Amino acid sequence: MTSKIINMAERIKDKEDLALEALFRSDPVPDDGFTASVMAQVRRTIWVRRLSMPIAVAIGAAISAKPLIQAVTIVPGLLSSIFGSSVGFDRLPVDSLPQLSTMLIGATLLMAVIMGSRILED
Amino acid sequence: MTAVAGDDDFELVARVVARQDASAFGELVRRHQSHVRNFLRKLTRDYTLADDLAQDAFLHAWDKLHTFRGQGTFIGWLLKVAYTTFLQSKRKSNRYGNVLEAISHEPGGGAVEDSNEVSDLDRFLAVLTEEERAVMILSYACGLSHREIGEAADMPVGTVKSIIFRGKEKIRDIFDIEDHQYG
Repeated sequence: MTSKIINMAERIKDKEDLALEALFRSDPVPDDGFTASVMAQVRRTIWVRRLSMPIAVAIGAAISAKPLIQAVTIVPGLLSSIFGSSVGFDRLPVDSLPQLSTMLIGATLLMAVIMGSRILED
Repeated sequence: MTAVAGDDDFELVARVVARQDASAFGELVRRHQSHVRNFLRKLTRDYTLADDLAQDAFLHAWDKLHTFRGQGTFIGWLLKVAYTTFLQSKRKSNRYGNVLEAISHEPGGGAVEDSNEVSDLDRFLAVLTEEERAVMILSYACGLSHREIGEAADMPVGTVKSIIFRGKEKIRDIFDIEDHQYG
């Protein structure tokens, strides 16, 4: 009930209200391709979002593929070294371990690609 | 299912939120672009800047549409997004400041529209603060209720009413209401 009274009070217009309405009155703005332009940007945003993660994953995978394969191939040797001898750590094939720097670079690039795609999206 | 012009705003919003339906959002843009652009054009008095801001506002709306809870009208929510976009842009850019300064020093000289009525509007807008300007435009150009304006401009309804009261006092000072030609 109170809100109805308030709404009624808002609808009662005095001279200033009418003058202000006249002052602010304007014709509708024609579209003139505005909607199409907004929708083009929206669709671009959708595609960027859809593609950014797969691209980032693909790039990250490409960079980390080599050290990853090395890591996988070393596992049997590593396990046999550990379980074959109680003190076999000195015989580990350290040379074939994936290099830490390569992995760090790969991870950094992956982060950069993800962040870059977010910036592009914004 | 494609968006139909007859669907109401809430239905279109639901489609966008549930299915990222771009065609439904396109219908919302087509339906409300005039209101949003008019609001921003009156707020900035610069058509190019206003249309850029309107584009940004609709993109923000696309991102934030899931936050629309269906309380109040969709256009009220959209104008809130537009006003927020305007305020954010103003903080980032000096361009608006330059336009505002030009308007303040040359009432009616901006020539963004060419009728006498708009010259009056420029004179009126020039004496309002930015907050007053936004509230008066939302009320008299966009036709929002006091409650909707409060939500859009993030202020209590009492403040909205006092701003409108002050605006009316200013128009009384600037224009001779008795002689002013209105609808």
